[in-house]
Amino acid sequence: MPREADPVISTPRPVSGSLSTTLSLRDVVKTYIMGAERVHALNGVSLDVARNEYVAIMGPSGSGKSTLMNVIGCLDVPTSGTYSLEGEEVALMSETQLAEIRNRHIGFVFQTFNLIARASVLHNVELPLIYGGVGRSERRERAEQALRDVGLGDRMKHRPNELSGGQRQRVAIARALVHRPSIILADEPTGNLDTKTGDDIMEMLDGLHAAGQTIILVTHEEYIAERAHRTIRLRDGLIESDQSNGSRARNDARPRVEASGSRGADDGAALETAVR
Amino acid sequence: MGESLQIALRAIRANKARGALTTLGIIIGIVAVVVTMTAANGLQNKFRESFSSIGTDVVYVSRMPWVIMDDFFLFRNRPNIDLREARALEANLQGKALVNPSIDGGHDVKYGPETMEGVRIIGTTEKQTLIGSAQPEAGRFLNTYEVSAKKNVCVIGTGVKEGLFKGSDPLHKTIKIGRTMFRVIGVMEKQGGSFADGPNFDRQIFVPIGAYVKSFGGHRGERDVNIAVKAPSQEAMADLEYTIIGEMRKIRKLRPAEPDNFSLNKLDTLVGTFNNMMGVLLLVGLLVTSISLFVGAVGVMNIMFVSVTERTREIGIRKAIGATRRSILLQFLFESSVICLLGGAIGIVLAAILTAVINSMLMPASLSIPILVIAVAVSIGVGILAGVAPAFRGARLDPIESLRYE
Repeated sequence: MPREADPVISTPRPVSGSLSTTLSLRDVVKTYIMGAERVHALNGVSLDVARNEYVAIMGPSGSGKSTLMNVIGCLDVPTSGTYSLEGEEVALMSETQLAEIRNRHIGFVFQTFNLIARASVLHNVELPLIYGGVGRSERRERAEQALRDVGLGDRMKHRPNELSGGQRQRVAIARALVHRPSIILADEPTGNLDTKTGDDIMEMLDGLHAAGQTIILVTHEEYIAERAHRTIRLRDGLIESDQSNGSRARNDARPRVEASGSRGADDGAALETAVR
Repeated sequence: MGESLQIALRAIRANKARGALTTLGIIIGIVAVVVTMTAANGLQNKFRESFSSIGTDVVYVSRMPWVIMDDFFLFRNRPNIDLREARALEANLQGKALVNPSIDGGHDVKYGPETMEGVRIIGTTEKQTLIGSAQPEAGRFLNTYEVSAKKNVCVIGTGVKEGLFKGSDPLHKTIKIGRTMFRVIGVMEKQGGSFADGPNFDRQIFVPIGAYVKSFGGHRGERDVNIAVKAPSQEAMADLEYTIIGEMRKIRKLRPAEPDNFSLNKLDTLVGTFNNMMGVLLLVGLLVTSISLFVGAVGVMNIMFVSVTERTREIGIRKAIGATRRSILLQFLFESSVICLLGGAIGIVLAAILTAVINSMLMPASLSIPILVIAVAVSIGVGILAGVAPAFRGARLDPIESLRYE
């Protein structure tokens, strides 16, 4: 959970919206009440992502990265500010509407894969279509196609725990893709994988981007972020920098561990990643 | 809906042992409820079968009511109905209804080495077969001559025939009733079993009423007479009852302020009393058995709470990929309903077996369609009730928190 915000570092850089804007955040503030304290996890973030962009979101623990991801993923709504996704205003939506938006527009890929253990691989991939009300035969067909696309056509009847980490993440990608979402939202997709397998997964995401998919990547790893075409750095609930990777200045990268004033739950993972 | 059901079935299959144990409570509950209902049903069938020979268009005028709800003391001092009163009533109802007086009492019966104790001996007239539905299956019934001449002849029930004659032909044999010899002239057809402590209609002997008074009447020469009055039709019953009350009061010279000192009995009163009794019995039975069902439901609720907590992360995942509160709620409601329905189905099968046992040993019980429908509805209802609280807890989980749950 992000901690206190420091308004001194305040360089929001709103990108002007274009015709092909997929999502657009304006002055998004997210405040948590923790005990007696009000914690500003996001302190006024404005951001546009165009169709087929490949964006990496970076930042130290407590920078508001997770909160921003939750807001973009429609798992959470901003305290104030606006968020429009594919032209729909999300900030004021009810929980049921948010569920429908997530179902239609967001494809999540998590660090811990988050597959349902008791269901088959095929059923896992079918789930978004089930909740989306897609008919049985079409659903089956599309889920099978998505699994073939990620190279798991021969593993459909397996349980997730019968698969390797890389295979599980590919199932997760198939599940994220199957309902043709507006955005793939990948949160540390390689965090639980070895370098080689992680590279394979990143290849796959690169390929999806090349095929026209909009991808937002949340990561600690510089080399992972470099694959994206644009890097957004958060710090204390604000956007610290937002640069295209083609012209990115190297000295922008700051050591992650010292960046955060206090330790968060992510710090252990961050350290671990840094050590590796 | 169909998808939710599939997901629920998958989840139950994944936890077979736990599901089976949870179901056990429901199985026991459903067995208890179903067996209670079939047993009540069986008692009712038995009752109907036992008293079918009385006939619904017959009123019995007796000293006592068949079912005494008030203080017995109120009836104790009533005078017996004697033969003179019976004849007077018969004369007054001439042309309006069929009247047949009878007297009965228990006596020992002997034939050769065989003795039957306390057989119901009924002194009656030739009109007996017109009042009741039973007819002789061998020989014939008493005739007018035998009745008026007080002949020592008798017509025995099948129970008496089996008890005394052990398969040999009873016709024209002479049996000893009390201290008097009677010649058997007929055997009545079988009328079915007895209900609880009620009369056994096969273990009785008909003799002419005069012969009865002569042999068993004691020094007063008269006994407590029952007068059966058969209405010409079902519709005439109500009027007939008023007429009988009026005539009896006249015969007994009761003053207007005096209450009746006789009772009118009919099958309806008996059935009504019985149904009231059964209603109370069934209610108490169901109350007791539903406690076991309630315990079963608590078990299901408990296991559903465990299931929701265990699957917090799964709920988070489902919500992230688009499950609404409603679909999570339905998923868990379906799951608990399916558990209970499975339990209900097994319970119904076990109850059917138990019913078959009851049927062959105790009474004509059967599993009827309404009972089955009730059992299924109760199982689903219990499932939904037991699932509501856990399902709501699951549905209201925050997706972000649940995704972080380990």
